[in-house]
Amino acid sequence: MSPTAARHGATVTGLGTFTSLGRGAAEMFDALCSGKSGLTTPPAAHLLSGTLDVAGIAPDLDPAEVLPPGERMVDRYALMALAAAADAVADSGLTIGSDVDPTRVAVVLSSGAGGLTTYEEQAHARRDRGPTAVSPYLLPGMLPNMAAARVAIKYGIRGWSSAMATACSAGAHAVVEAARLIRHGEADVVICGGAEAPLNPTSALAFKHARALAHGWEDPTAASRPFDTGRNGFVLAEGAGVLVVERTDVADARGAAGYADLLGWGVSTDAYKPTAPRPDGEGAVQSMRSALACGGLAPDDIGYVNAHGTATKLGDIAEARAVRTVFGTDGGPAVSGTKSMTGHLLGGAGAVEAAVCALALSTGRLPPTHNLQDVAPDCELDHVRGAARPSGTEAVLSNSFAFGGHNVSLLLGRAHTRSKRGR
Amino acid sequence: MQKDEVTKFILDALSTMNYDVSEVSPDSPLGPSGLDLESLSVAEIAIQIEDTYGVRFEEDEMESLALLTISGLVDEVVKRASAAATAAHSG
Repeated sequence: MSPTAARHGATVTGLGTFTSLGRGAAEMFDALCSGKSGLTTPPAAHLLSGTLDVAGIAPDLDPAEVLPPGERMVDRYALMALAAAADAVADSGLTIGSDVDPTRVAVVLSSGAGGLTTYEEQAHARRDRGPTAVSPYLLPGMLPNMAAARVAIKYGIRGWSSAMATACSAGAHAVVEAARLIRHGEADVVICGGAEAPLNPTSALAFKHARALAHGWEDPTAASRPFDTGRNGFVLAEGAGVLVVERTDVADARGAAGYADLLGWGVSTDAYKPTAPRPDGEGAVQSMRSALACGGLAPDDIGYVNAHGTATKLGDIAEARAVRTVFGTDGGPAVSGTKSMTGHLLGGAGAVEAAVCALALSTGRLPPTHNLQDVAPDCELDHVRGAARPSGTEAVLSNSFAFGGHNVSLLLGRAHTRSKRGR
Repeated sequence: MQKDEVTKFILDALSTMNYDVSEVSPDSPLGPSGLDLESLSVAEIAIQIEDTYGVRFEEDEMESLALLTISGLVDEVVKRASAAATAAHSG
């Protein structure tokens, strides 16, 4: 570890997730551990009906529940981020303004693409009703920074704020930013995570035409099958994940319990192709090794990897290869891909999966990869499958890899504060 | 052009924009002491008026528009529309 690193520890004290498995991180984690899939066929009333056979659709959300009266045209990605943020803040027990100075609180909320559904609606309005149908509210409604901005407005957060736009790594990237801000003393509390609302026909067709999506599955819950021989793509999903991350000594001082500590991070870039990963998985190797080095841990210290595991042919092979390169072929960590049940939340995925890892540490349970019946020849690892696995591991990794070749690995460890909900 | 017609147009547009116009009177200010329109709402109503009545509001007028009452805005629209019509005739 470099001598300048590790000034302050960072502890996850609050979680909020809003996914196809419902609202609430503990509820989602219980569903994942019991092998319950949230993936469904879009109903007739859904925008995607007839376009996709399967998607991860989150619950309905009334804007009035998360926004002040009179706000208009706010895209669903931001609404879901606000819901997850409200749950995470409530879960942390933190009152911004009394427990912590608002200028020492940061918010980093990512989205791969922001409010494209709202943009599409306005494009249609312009076509159908003419130029004046385009509202200036489209801007605060769809811009990818507005989830962060609206959370800041809601809680009076006056410190650092930003939004990362690194596609499917964006949620994990936000957690990296949080850990860095805490470690370097730039914030005492960071509300971080990501949200995505890609379930509109244009976005869905772009992924479909990229041949990236699972197809041909009569049972929607069978469609997402990371590392399985029969896999044929990922399942597009919407949702949000938000974590409250606090400086460990600040959390301790207020008596807060933690799910997990953020011990390190690794970020690397493939510099290869816009969409395909390096076949040798070298970018993923680099991000995992960087995360271990950042946290001062050895490969043997890691008991679980939450894989990026989208169930694309090339992506799963490259990741499995990378995991074997870092951890060896014998006695490596347990691995599972929870996108098998949540679908792929794109810019929300990394944050939801960081929450999964925090809960795996605090509960001692590792969720399985759903639908992993026949492990593909190139994908051999110590897969958790069939049922959740008990684990006393002290440290875990969460991988997120993105279009653009952005690789992020998060390193989380058992909380150094008193532990939260060790069930 | 009838003032009543312009008033109705503006109230309908505000209603479409989710503003509660049930208690709005001609003397209601557009700004903080009345409807409390945000700058984007002022811009949105302006573009709809421009499109319907062929008048033009310049960018630097947006702040002063927000200080008008409903009837003040209606008067402004009627004045500009008739000026535009006169200019067209004399042109």
